[in-house]
Amino acid sequence: MDAVTQLQRQLVDYTNSLFHEGFLDEQFNQLQQLQDESNPDFVVEVVSLFFQDSERLLNELAKILEQQNIDFKKVDAHVHQLKGSSSSIGAQRVQRVCIAFRNSCEEKNIEGCQKCLQHVKHEYTLVKNKLETLFKLEQQVLASGGTIPMY
Amino acid sequence: MAALQRLGQSSLSTSASSYVSCKAGEMAVLDQFPAGLRVLVVDDDLTCLKILEQMLRRCLYNVTTCSQAAVALNLLRTKKGCFDVVLSDVHMPDMDGYKLLEQVGLEMDLPVIMMSADARVCAVMKGIRHGACDYLIKPIREEELKNIWQHVVRRKRNEIKELEHSGSLEDNDRHKRGSDDVEYASSVNEGTEGTLKTQRKRSNAKEDDVDLENDDPSMAKKPRVVWSVELHQQFVSAVNQLGIDKAIPKRILELMNVPGLTRENVASHLQKFRLYLKRLSGVAQQGGIVSAFCGPVDTNVKLSSIGRFDIQALAASGQIAPETLAALHAELLGRPTGNLVTAMEEPALLQASLQGPKCIPAEHGVAFGQPVVKCQPNISKHFPQSIMFVDDASPMFGAWPSNGLGTVAPGSNLVGLNPQNNNMLTDILHQQQQRQQQHQKPQQQSALSESSRSINVQPSCLVVPSRSSANFQAGNSPVDQNYSYNRSAVIDYSLLSSQSNNSSLNVGQISGGDLKTTGVLSGYSGPGSISPSASSCSVSAEHNTSQQVQNSTLTFRAARQVPGLVPNVADIQGSYRAKSGEVLDQGPLRNLGFVGKGTRIPSQLAVDEYELPMNNLNHGKIYLTFSQNRLALLGEL
Repeated sequence: MDAVTQLQRQLVDYTNSLFHEGFLDEQFNQLQQLQDESNPDFVVEVVSLFFQDSERLLNELAKILEQQNIDFKKVDAHVHQLKGSSSSIGAQRVQRVCIAFRNSCEEKNIEGCQKCLQHVKHEYTLVKNKLETLFKLEQQVLASGGTIPMY
Repeated sequence: MAALQRLGQSSLSTSASSYVSCKAGEMAVLDQFPAGLRVLVVDDDLTCLKILEQMLRRCLYNVTTCSQAAVALNLLRTKKGCFDVVLSDVHMPDMDGYKLLEQVGLEMDLPVIMMSADARVCAVMKGIRHGACDYLIKPIREEELKNIWQHVVRRKRNEIKELEHSGSLEDNDRHKRGSDDVEYASSVNEGTEGTLKTQRKRSNAKEDDVDLENDDPSMAKKPRVVWSVELHQQFVSAVNQLGIDKAIPKRILELMNVPGLTRENVASHLQKFRLYLKRLSGVAQQGGIVSAFCGPVDTNVKLSSIGRFDIQALAASGQIAPETLAALHAELLGRPTGNLVTAMEEPALLQASLQGPKCIPAEHGVAFGQPVVKCQPNISKHFPQSIMFVDDASPMFGAWPSNGLGTVAPGSNLVGLNPQNNNMLTDILHQQQQRQQQHQKPQQQSALSESSRSINVQPSCLVVPSRSSANFQAGNSPVDQNYSYNRSAVIDYSLLSSQSNNSSLNVGQISGGDLKTTGVLSGYSGPGSISPSASSCSVSAEHNTSQQVQNSTLTFRAARQVPGLVPNVADIQGSYRAKSGEVLDQGPLRNLGFVGKGTRIPSQLAVDEYELPMNNLNHGKIYLTFSQNRLALLGEL
């Protein structure tokens, strides 16, 4: 019993830290609230989709930015999409970098774009790790017979 | 035992409730209403798609998701009537969301809500312009989706209104529509003015209603005669021949000599016609008020306002007939749109009207059908000055091709465009033209122009000298393409101007308002918006112009749309036409739609179309340009 409570507390703390540190925003709460009995793995599913999609986009971006003639339109389109999906799951920091990224893109600033790409990759990896940790904690809570506390 | 008792109770309560079933049933439907709303969500971003799906499910909507625009479009086509509303992302690789939006607007009458992480004003504006009923910025929250059913209801309501509208006299609905539209207007830059106008409009409409009802209460039940543009022209020329005071249904009927038409038909149409004239004259007397009046209210209102102006001009110049004609076209034909159009014999119009029950599109279609041809040729050909301008303008035309017009050569681009429209319209117009030709002094420079000339009565009526100068300057500043057009437009004015100096002065005070009105009339817009910046003097000219412009505008758009369609254009003219007509109605249309609603927005929108990025920044100037463009088009043509 104690172990479960402790795990739950840990989960809550960890979740709160993600918000405090700006990795996640309110939109992630929305996501959690969308999860219900009819769709018990909703958050995990959505976030996995986000991971897949983001990785694809980041790879594409890296490819485009390596080329001699950079198709800024494409860059912009990809970044735009990344911005859309990251904002939809509440990955706030990724979203913010995307905004800067788009600005560089608009200026056709190659160097700026490359920097932004590194930056966004970094943020993406961070939030991915954080979210994976979060999900693991949740699994542990569930495995120990507890319920996921609502925020 | 307990269980049995409970059973008994429950059955009791059931039966009890069934007593109320009638009302309860209705209520139940209402209670559940948004539940089950059939929503199609299109987004290439699977993450978003999944979230949206879940959110929409939470709202108890019936959700269909789709990650490709093309697939969505197919789905919509094959399962017509299976969706109530479409939610679409803007940026999609296989098909731009705007394209989808436009396509949906053309092919089906469905509210489309755009979504994007792009919150820039120009992006939202583009959505509106293409006919989005809403634009949600990502990330989208559940609360925003809870409300989307309102778009479905609104759309349905409008449809119903339109139906009523068509079933009875158009006048009844004016004020209703006007009030609805005011929302739009006010949201833009309008505010108080809009309300004022609406109120004014309302009282006006009420009077009209009373009159109509007293005179002919049973009208709505009689078999309806479709007053096609052609028929209406016959009517108008008969009235003109007799003189409006002496025109009685019987005589008109004789003059028209149309089999199947009854005296009653003519009588009721005459009634509307008279009301229309009355309104026009009323406006003329209240010069100062005009601006308040004209503004944003309804399409109809705007039309009438234009008509009024024309009348003024006519009165001043002494030539009423042609303008009256034009005004009437706009007013009488324009409004009933849905019905009239459908009934019309002309294929082009038909197609345009077929799109749907919506009045607005239809109106546009109708209005533009004839006018387009008419106006353009007249202006350019008749006036030497205009020609000069044209030369200047020609470089500008170059810009057009980029828009999709490609094929068309500079000077002759417009003409080229016209042909497409003209062809379609030509047949229809021919007759009219012949009738009208008396008014015009045809100068045949181009073959195309010939057809158009006949209709052009309007140009001659309006004259505003002073204005042209204003336009020129304004035109120069902002938009290149437009600019060239402007010049030509200007020219038109000057040519026309000689007649209506007086009127122009009056207008002057009102100009802001008037112009706006004009814009609306033109429907297509731009013209109205222009006014603010334009000098007051020009106003009257504008009005006249505006009507012409309407036509021209239509053409213009059609041409414009072509770009997208271009590949096919050549072969398809016929079919294309339909599309262009439709497009006009809805897509850019949105402009039209707005126009119909009486909002000034249209002009803005229109402007946007031409000048991609500038959108809102230079409203004043842009407007001018825009309208001028139209004018220019006319001139060129």
